[in-house]
Amino acid sequence: MSKPSASAALPIAHVALRVLIVLNWLAGAAVAAMLVAPATGRWLLHAYHLSPSPDADRLVMACRAIAAVFLVAIPLHYVVLKRLLAIVETVRAGDPFVAANALHLQAIAWMLLALQLLSLVIGAISRAVSTPAHPLHLRAGFSISGWLAVLLTFLLARVFAEGALMRDDLEGTV
Amino acid sequence: MAIAVKLDDLLHDRRMTLTELAERVEMTLANLSILKTGKARAIRFSTLEAICDALSCQPGDLLRFESAQAEREPIAR
Repeated sequence: MSKPSASAALPIAHVALRVLIVLNWLAGAAVAAMLVAPATGRWLLHAYHLSPSPDADRLVMACRAIAAVFLVAIPLHYVVLKRLLAIVETVRAGDPFVAANALHLQAIAWMLLALQLLSLVIGAISRAVSTPAHPLHLRAGFSISGWLAVLLTFLLARVFAEGALMRDDLEGTV
Repeated sequence: MAIAVKLDDLLHDRRMTLTELAERVEMTLANLSILKTGKARAIRFSTLEAICDALSCQPGDLLRFESAQAEREPIAR
């Protein structure tokens, strides 16, 4: 398989990010609808083959809480995707080492940090209600790679800030 | 800025235009204008050498240090 060229990668990234922004809002709308729909409780009980009981109610409440936390993550995802799109635009324009990109990366890093914290909350909720009879398997909780991404993004923001300063100096050199 | 560029004076003394200098030192007119108007942040040794060669001058003839205090308190005449 041939490697996509750099010129192809940027339009692909641009389109992919735009699609992800739409999908993110759609996912948010779907979860919000699920959260307010009165039939959600019955649907969850049916999906887990449960009959109404205090344990079943606990599971439904936990699922609602997880959905609420997921809703909080939607605007955070939007900020990450929108800022990434802005960075891609500057790369396409041939001028990525600008102070604005350092700020974009810093904002992304804070959003990733918040998302990691939300993931911890979701992981804790799912562990609290999960039982051997009705396990609740969610890919949430502590993630080394997730926290490493946060650290790397903060570092990258600093690298871009320094790069922008060097770029300014170079621009003023005759 | 504490470093003043005296390119205007040198060009006047040599009866040379900025365009002529740009052709001699093989630099763009835009870059030389940045230098002349004091908007440059740095100057390469190669640029300094080319300008000094073209204008038959020393780097000190082109650049002058003006302390911030001297700029604030002009000498009374």
